[in-house]
Amino acid sequence: MTSDSAGRTSSNLEPMLRATDVAKRYGGVRALRGVDFEIRAGEVHGLVGENGAGKSTLIKVLAGAETPDTGTVTVDGKTLRLGDTQASLAAGISTVYQEPHLFGELTVAENIFVGRELTTRGRVRWAEQREQVAQLLEQIGLDPNLARRNVADLPVGEQQLISIAKAFATEVKILILDEPSAILADRDIDTLFEVVRRMRASGVGVIYISHRLDELGQITDRITVMRDGSVVTTRPTHELNPRKIAELMVGHELERLSVERKTVSEEVVLDIHGLAAGKSMKDVSLQLRKGEILGVYGLIGSGTSDLARAMFGIVPSTAGEIKVNGTTAVLRSPADAAAAGFAMVPGNRKSEGVFLNKSLAFNISASHLRYFSKAGLAFDAKRERATTLELMKKLRVKAPAPETRIGALSGGNQQKVVMARQLVESPSVLILEEPTQGVDVGAKDEIHRLVLELAAEGTSSVVISTDLEEIRTLSDRIIVLHQGRVGHEFPGDTSTAALLAAASGATDVDADADRAIPAPRITEGES
Amino acid sequence: MSTVTQEKAPRPVPRLRRTPIIEGQEAVLIAVLVIVGVLLAVFTDTFMTSANIQTVLYTVAPIAIIGVGMTAVMVTAGIDVSVGSQMAIAMVVVGKLLRDTDLGWFPALVVAVVVGSILGIINGLLIVVGRIHPMIITFGTLNVYRYVALQIFGDQQVSGVPDDLGFIGGSVQAVTFGIPNALLLAMALMVIMWAYMRQWAGGRHLYAIGGDPGAARLTGIQVNRKLISVYVLIGVLVGIASLVQVGSGGLIQQNVGIGLELQVIAACVIGGTSVLGGRGTVFGTLLGALLVGTVSSAVTHLGWPNELTNLFVGIFIIVAVGIDLVRQKRRTKL
Repeated sequence: MTSDSAGRTSSNLEPMLRATDVAKRYGGVRALRGVDFEIRAGEVHGLVGENGAGKSTLIKVLAGAETPDTGTVTVDGKTLRLGDTQASLAAGISTVYQEPHLFGELTVAENIFVGRELTTRGRVRWAEQREQVAQLLEQIGLDPNLARRNVADLPVGEQQLISIAKAFATEVKILILDEPSAILADRDIDTLFEVVRRMRASGVGVIYISHRLDELGQITDRITVMRDGSVVTTRPTHELNPRKIAELMVGHELERLSVERKTVSEEVVLDIHGLAAGKSMKDVSLQLRKGEILGVYGLIGSGTSDLARAMFGIVPSTAGEIKVNGTTAVLRSPADAAAAGFAMVPGNRKSEGVFLNKSLAFNISASHLRYFSKAGLAFDAKRERATTLELMKKLRVKAPAPETRIGALSGGNQQKVVMARQLVESPSVLILEEPTQGVDVGAKDEIHRLVLELAAEGTSSVVISTDLEEIRTLSDRIIVLHQGRVGHEFPGDTSTAALLAAASGATDVDADADRAIPAPRITEGES
Repeated sequence: MSTVTQEKAPRPVPRLRRTPIIEGQEAVLIAVLVIVGVLLAVFTDTFMTSANIQTVLYTVAPIAIIGVGMTAVMVTAGIDVSVGSQMAIAMVVVGKLLRDTDLGWFPALVVAVVVGSILGIINGLLIVVGRIHPMIITFGTLNVYRYVALQIFGDQQVSGVPDDLGFIGGSVQAVTFGIPNALLLAMALMVIMWAYMRQWAGGRHLYAIGGDPGAARLTGIQVNRKLISVYVLIGVLVGIASLVQVGSGGLIQQNVGIGLELQVIAACVIGGTSVLGGRGTVFGTLLGALLVGTVSSAVTHLGWPNELTNLFVGIFIIVAVGIDLVRQKRRTKL
């Protein structure tokens, strides 16, 4: 898989960028404890670590967005002035952050040239800029007509590719990609990999940060693993595999998830028949039994998110019926859904899930104010605290106290709190939408274990995810949606190949289809 | 046999679009202005007289001049509500100097500009260093500057100001080609600013800062310097606008400039400048100022009660902001 890249790296061993003994402290937290790190010309260097391991701080130091307390960085032997974004840019270090840092009201061409416009006495040479950008876009496989469009009018995946194009347009020596694939659809990931390979071929050193460990195997030459503000190891990619990387990240061997599960009972908790809602869900029927975990998989636009939102009363259903424990439920609002026994962990934690400025206890009790009040009036703070503590223990939330502000916690711990909120009143059906998106390997494992434990205790869950491994790890059964309908139903241990085929519309899929066949984009990636 | 058909959802074909010189909202404003003008010409015989038109245009001039700066400030996602108090200081200083010394118009201009830029620098530094929302900072300085102005007034209004600045004042002589010189000055400033914000890199950076200040900093734009400069710019323009106000001389009262910020912000918002930053043109602001001026005059000439002006301006603001928000919302849904 990585033979060609391994051959390439041995040809040029002199590092282009070298960071020595970089340390940074935020108050009492030691974000970096004397890190040594280097990048060679023409290599793709994976940088991994759990949230809080120090990756972001390290790349901010390289980009000049943070000033380290100690340490030096040299580029081509020359010492870099630290804490100055201009100096880093001038030295050829370009960073593409996770969220596209683009200006919505400016055109793509303007965005690519912003800060270093082609000007005559201050006046922008529009035609020339547009021409160059059109060429650049063409070169990396994007539509050259995009140059004239306002960025705010483009879908987010395209915006991400534009920010990479922006880095490509500068005299870049070192390109830092911070989780570039996190918000990309599969076909955009192919484009991304293509762009990264072209950059490597032209001698750029690429730092590639990703939580998707399988990607690292496809695209990187070497991988540096960080933990607790230190570098654990830097090794050629071919010496590592996703499991090994994950173990280095968390610092101990991962146990295989093994939770004692009773067999699922026959009692049907949720019965959906012919449901249609939103723009893309046309006709979905499913049944969920007590203690069962049902996986729902589908490509973007197949109706999976409409299904989640219809079950939680966010979008009204236009046809069909939802029965909970045998009674028909009419869900016009999330309040209706909660009353019917649904609980939902939404996909977009930041915008739908948490009150970042509020305490853990507040976040947990927020949707249960009646439950936490005495005689329906006075709020019972003691009970709130006790319940919060109990749930924190159960979910292994790493936080000092129920009063801790949730924004101070890592993504994984925040997600656990969001789940804890849903468990306060023991729901009949737990809807989990992308439950581990953006959380690190360790927390992902714990969240999975928790879902399995809840199922063992009799909670029924619907897991809607685009992470196939997650779906396969958790689900007793999997339904695949295609164009708003249930395309197929599979047992939980179905191969990824079969699930992908069904999601893209194949009609005669064998659940036991050859498991050696990896996902299509992996094969495309190496061709 | 597997029938996996790789269905690629069609990529939306991008629509080619040049940034038009006159944008949608501006075209609508021109249309509204024309309609109001025609209606007034038909229903009154006092509105469409050159004297009245000149009065309206002269009233609009200071708002348009300050609007040039306010547009730049609002495009960076800021705001300056202290302009009224700034104007009070500039006017009382210039007025007293004109009256008590033999100051010519040019030294008066220099004084007004210096006073304005000092007040602007104070606002800009507090906003950048304190990292506090401009609304709060300038709300603070609105009160502080008003106190300073009142101290300079002493306990009486300034009367007997000579008309050294009459050529940009409101008199019938201060008119070229039927347009008050004050408005011509405003239009000249607008053309310069329009070109700068549309064509010059430095001007485009204002939009970048308003869109995402963090990202702007990362692309190497000197965000703080730029932000201070727009507050200085608005201070300078307040200085110039106060010359227009002092223009015909006479009396300067202590309550001068109270509520001015609301008129200027109304002109910007009605002209399509987004309260969220990143969007707006000085041309739109001029149209916004003209519309407010016209409507206010129209109410008088139709013999309607004055408070109707407030109602109309309020409706215009809500409609303009509503259009902006709907537009933003539609975009985030993409």
